[in-house]
Amino acid sequence: MAARSYSIALAGNPNVGKSTLFNALTGARQHTGNWPGKTVEKKEGRTLIDGREVLVVDLPGTYSLAACSIEEVIARDFIVQEQPDAVVIVADAANLERNLYLALQILELGAPAVLALNMADTARARGLRIDTEALSAALGGAPVIETVGSRGVGIDALKAAIARCASRPSRVPFALDYGAQLEAEIAALADQSAADPALSARYSPRWLALRLLEGDASVPVSAELRAAASAAAERLAAALGDDAELLIADARYAFIGRAVARAVTHTSADVSPSERADRIITHRIWGLPIFLGLMWLVFQFTANVSAPLLDWVDGVVTGPVARWAAALLGAGGLGGTWVESLAVDGVIAGVGGVLVFVPVLMTLYLAIAVLEDSGYMARAAFVMDRVMRALGLHGKSFLPLLVGFGCNVPAVYATRTLENERDRKLTGFLATFMSCGARLPVYVAFGAAFFGAQAGQLTFGLYLLGIGAALLTGLAFSRLIYRNQPAQPFVLELPPYRWPRPRGVARQVWARTRSFIYNAGTIILACAVVIWLLLALPASLDLRAFNAVEPEDSVFGTTSQLIAPALAPAGFGDWRAAGSLISGVIAKEVVIGTMSQVYSAEAPDDDPDAATPTLLEDIGEIARSLGEAIVLTAQEAINIVPRTVNVIPGVKLPEADLLGAGDKGAEDTTALGTALRGAFTPLSAVAFLVFVLLYVPCMATVGAMRQEFGGRWALYQIGYTLLLAWAAAVIVYQGGLLLGLGA
Amino acid sequence: MATTLRRVLEYVEDQAGAVSLAQMARELGVPRPLLQEMIDYWVRRGRLREAGAASCGTCGSASLCPAAAFVLKRYEPVNGGAEQAVCACAAE
Repeated sequence: MAARSYSIALAGNPNVGKSTLFNALTGARQHTGNWPGKTVEKKEGRTLIDGREVLVVDLPGTYSLAACSIEEVIARDFIVQEQPDAVVIVADAANLERNLYLALQILELGAPAVLALNMADTARARGLRIDTEALSAALGGAPVIETVGSRGVGIDALKAAIARCASRPSRVPFALDYGAQLEAEIAALADQSAADPALSARYSPRWLALRLLEGDASVPVSAELRAAASAAAERLAAALGDDAELLIADARYAFIGRAVARAVTHTSADVSPSERADRIITHRIWGLPIFLGLMWLVFQFTANVSAPLLDWVDGVVTGPVARWAAALLGAGGLGGTWVESLAVDGVIAGVGGVLVFVPVLMTLYLAIAVLEDSGYMARAAFVMDRVMRALGLHGKSFLPLLVGFGCNVPAVYATRTLENERDRKLTGFLATFMSCGARLPVYVAFGAAFFGAQAGQLTFGLYLLGIGAALLTGLAFSRLIYRNQPAQPFVLELPPYRWPRPRGVARQVWARTRSFIYNAGTIILACAVVIWLLLALPASLDLRAFNAVEPEDSVFGTTSQLIAPALAPAGFGDWRAAGSLISGVIAKEVVIGTMSQVYSAEAPDDDPDAATPTLLEDIGEIARSLGEAIVLTAQEAINIVPRTVNVIPGVKLPEADLLGAGDKGAEDTTALGTALRGAFTPLSAVAFLVFVLLYVPCMATVGAMRQEFGGRWALYQIGYTLLLAWAAAVIVYQGGLLLGLGA
Repeated sequence: MATTLRRVLEYVEDQAGAVSLAQMARELGVPRPLLQEMIDYWVRRGRLREAGAASCGTCGSASLCPAAAFVLKRYEPVNGGAEQAVCACAAE
């Protein structure tokens, strides 16, 4: 006589390798369809165990049998109604706590079950050793088998356990001890349900009692039984101070905790390296200095490492590219015309003047992407939250503020994550003080022109000043708006630290750089053309003098001169600076684009007697200078170490000098740098940068503010930031003069 | 004496600002994976909610969104939210 066939079910949480184990058991003997009347996929397969054909049914992945979702209903109904000969509970061996809740529910249902601890290799790699016998004993004797479904490890042992389980003549449900009071109510309800033969034939009376106490409305019971369960739940709530459903869940979690503590040992330290690191990195005292130190390093890296490549791109744009454009236009008969002026003094000076900062931004984005991918930025958010709370600000506002370091526009939109309108408005307001990527080219241009190797410190200081302005503004506003409002609590899951993934970092850097380049090709190009037109158009509107007017007599120059006197107390009452600030309202990068245009319009032409390089000479020089820039970039990267250590008083580590060119890597030789040194003093340059940091954010940000918070709030912000920027720049300049720093 | 589940909820509600899961596990003496389970329990009951950081929904492009870089899984109390039974949805 042929051996009787039987059926088994695979149950488990999602993502525990249940399908892999199903494949390992059934091989190619599979059939896929839908569960009757449902859109959930049903997979069945066949396998041979001890010569008997076994139907294997893969149940949908669920976290419990609470019947809250269609998957849970399917899994529970299959086990209850089809009564498979064995249920294989597939659990992730590395996350036992997460998986044992479902296992308990299946065991309480009375199903003959085997616990397959899948992905046992991952658990071992994480330093977990599971005593399967101890776990089996805790689970009422249910067999526990370690498997690695993807490699077929443990499949034979699992089949043997299934065979033993399926051949057991009786089903004795696993009974977890819920404590005297709960047990008494469970027993009473179980007795009542056992009295109904139809009901007790389908369900284990104890399991049914538990489900009724948990408030499960989906089990079909009589009105009397349900009423009895409600009365029992009320008695328990009165006696134990909580509802029965919570008490049952709590008992299960407590059992899981005990079972895991008994069966699982950690061969590695109990505390993960990430948690150990976090005890220092997110420490309530050390967290902030560590954050500031890392940011300092980021700006050292950004300003110094990118400088040689910045000089190279600048040399290429202002030299060969400008010459080639002029030569091409000259060949087309347009040499010396307004078209050449538009191309060279407008587009190349304006757009090129901004594009030369691509290496700087890429370096910053690289540093930030590395910090993000390593998991540090999540900690920064955590640390910042504490700082803001200490100043009476709303803790949850940290995210939009951090986003503001990239771009203020998404920072304003990110305030949508806050529920309260007042919180959103204040956070949006403060986010615009965060130094966005577009302000960085301005800092770097001035930093390189005036502060050489100290440019990183200057940039770092400006970022800190932006944070400080936001915090002080927030503090002042919170005194007025948020009086006595308690901080909102929340729990953060900090991801474990990891080595940054090169591909992920590269994707982040490219996505952000692309956005910057896109802006240069659209907004900045348009601005460059408009600025060129205003520079070429005489204030008298005499078109005969078009493109032949002195810059200060142009529409742009004359308009800028009207505003310049107001900026004189801040040390930059020059019309060129005023004009650049006006154009910077459109986008902050445009400040640099405009300066490049204004100063190039005034710069004397190249020596006419100098020989113009040939195309081949240009290409050779571009290649040679690129090689030099790459070597200098490496040199600057190496020198971050001595420059950082040399901050300690009395320490003087030598710096690398790969080309024997002294401090050439930090020397600003760009055309704009030379022009700025002629127009500003170091003190007025700092005052100018403070103004750029704090004054009206770009038009896109103002537009976002208007869209989110209304026109009046956007106007308040324009007024407030203008006043604050002016006051801060004047204080910096006049204070510097008083301290004798004006030279 | 309050159940561990109740202590977990009260701990979150009593915080003045952010707390990390690791710190919470340490202070409550509950293994972190089990703590995660208990938090999920309260999420199902409607007393805590899971909030994604980059949920402004402005552009729909996670790869370009600077906020996406700061996505942190966080849980916060639902103020004034009525507690619901875990199986409230099963009444169909």
